[in-house]
Amino acid sequence: MTVELRQTRLPGVGTKFAFITAHGSRVAVIHHVDGTQELYVFGRVDDDEPRAVLLLDDDEARQLGAVLGGAYERPKIVDELEMAFGELAIEWVEVPDDSPAIGRTLAECGFRARTGVTIIAILRDPEPVTGAQPTDVVQRGDVLVTVGKLGQYKEFRRLLREGPFDGAARSAE
Amino acid sequence: VVAAETLTLADLAVTIAVLAALGLAAGRFGLSAIPAYLLAGLLLGPNEPRELSLIEPSEVTAFLAELGVVFLLFFLGLEFSLDRLLRSGRHLGLGGSIDLAVNAAVGIAVGVAAFGISFAAVILAAAVYVSSSAVTVKGLIDFRRLADDETDLVLAILVFEDVVVAGVLGFAAAGGGGVSPTLVAVAKALAFITASLAVSRYLSRPLDRLLDRLPSEFFLLFVFALVVGLAATAKALGLSEAIGALMAGIVLAETSVRAEIEERFLSFRDLFAALFFFTFGLSIDVEALGEIGWLVALAVVLSAAGKLGGGYGAGIVGGFTRRQSVNVGAALVAHGEFTIILADLASKNTEIPVGDRADLVAFAGLYVLATATIGVVLMKESKRIGRRVFPVPTLVQKE
Repeated sequence: MTVELRQTRLPGVGTKFAFITAHGSRVAVIHHVDGTQELYVFGRVDDDEPRAVLLLDDDEARQLGAVLGGAYERPKIVDELEMAFGELAIEWVEVPDDSPAIGRTLAECGFRARTGVTIIAILRDPEPVTGAQPTDVVQRGDVLVTVGKLGQYKEFRRLLREGPFDGAARSAE
Repeated sequence: VVAAETLTLADLAVTIAVLAALGLAAGRFGLSAIPAYLLAGLLLGPNEPRELSLIEPSEVTAFLAELGVVFLLFFLGLEFSLDRLLRSGRHLGLGGSIDLAVNAAVGIAVGVAAFGISFAAVILAAAVYVSSSAVTVKGLIDFRRLADDETDLVLAILVFEDVVVAGVLGFAAAGGGGVSPTLVAVAKALAFITASLAVSRYLSRPLDRLLDRLPSEFFLLFVFALVVGLAATAKALGLSEAIGALMAGIVLAETSVRAEIEERFLSFRDLFAALFFFTFGLSIDVEALGEIGWLVALAVVLSAAGKLGGGYGAGIVGGFTRRQSVNVGAALVAHGEFTIILADLASKNTEIPVGDRADLVAFAGLYVLATATIGVVLMKESKRIGRRVFPVPTLVQKE
């Protein structure tokens, strides 16, 4: 499962990281001393010329790395499992537009008490909420960043979609 | 009025504009800027051709050039450290030795043919031996060779060459004039290097703490003073400023602020190195070559063959394929900064006869112009050449 990554120092240039994919392509990343990064892709291991060379500055490389690593937030496309550590999972869950939870505080929703899933942050424009409090109100368009066990999410999604919740919802903005 | 012994702001503006234009043009053809700067010096300088003679070598140009040498060597030093040398791995010793054996032999043959058995011959041998890290690294990046396995070997050989030539730099400016004074110069150089390395062990931690705390403006000034100071110290000891600057780099390479220093001093290096190559170009007198003119041509052919052969051998011994080994050889053909620096230091060495000094300068200038151009072309085409010379066996051929 682990990829054999070969690291080589290139004096005067930077550092090279190379590995061979399961499909027999060769990939090399060059970290230049000046912070730029280059990605070389060879169609086959012993190809003479690279099929593609991509020059990335620092920001772009980080962005690409986050996307490839699956750590990048992509609520518009998928709201499925993002990271799993054994049984424990961190998931980005989009709030459905017709969710009865909208307009209620996290305490009123009682997600943790009822499903075991904890909401640790809320992604929303313009300011995300970090360290979500029981008094924070769920709004239309929110993406909930949650921690829970894999088996708890089915019930969590059902509750978020259908309720029922106690108390009256505040008017949603 | 005879040309004034100064450099006006207008002169400087014209010079730098010409350097930028020629450097850019060279880049368009995939060539390194070093031969372009030399050519600019040759054209604008007082020697043939005389149509464009605008700039006279003067104390000012000499001083700017000296700063160029200091920064070039300082940056080389920053890349050095025992730790890093060891980590550059298995290629270093074996590949470097093969390259040294072949090309030092070529260098000595050329040197002795030019100057007989003399100190100038030693300098010329070193100048013919050492490839250009600057030209080669630029080529490796431009021609997309960084991911190739054989590139590791190329870079390791370049590091090996740099270490060898660093030793020669130590006494290039002071040796000659008999065997025993030369040995004294060599001993002094070795002592200086050893002392600086020893001091750097103890100095680098307090230096690190100091530099880390300095506001950025004074950080710049302090490092500048340290570099130029060590260069001046080496010079005062009868060694070359080059070796002092190299040592400053090595001392600072061990500190945590190395990356910041590289970032902030890169533009100084680029500017002053350009002026150094230009100034060197000013003093190239093609006519001075006289009877050893043919030797430049011979040296270019011999050393191109030596580098191709030595690099190929190092590649095969290192376990690379024949085509990869061709790439190694081709990447080492270009000569550049060290050849010029060696000739520049020797040209100020009064122990070498005046005629030989002029020969050395003209030789190094033309030799670099030729090999840097040929080397880049060879490097660009080496994969195609490799495919031509060592085609992949096909079914048809097997029959």
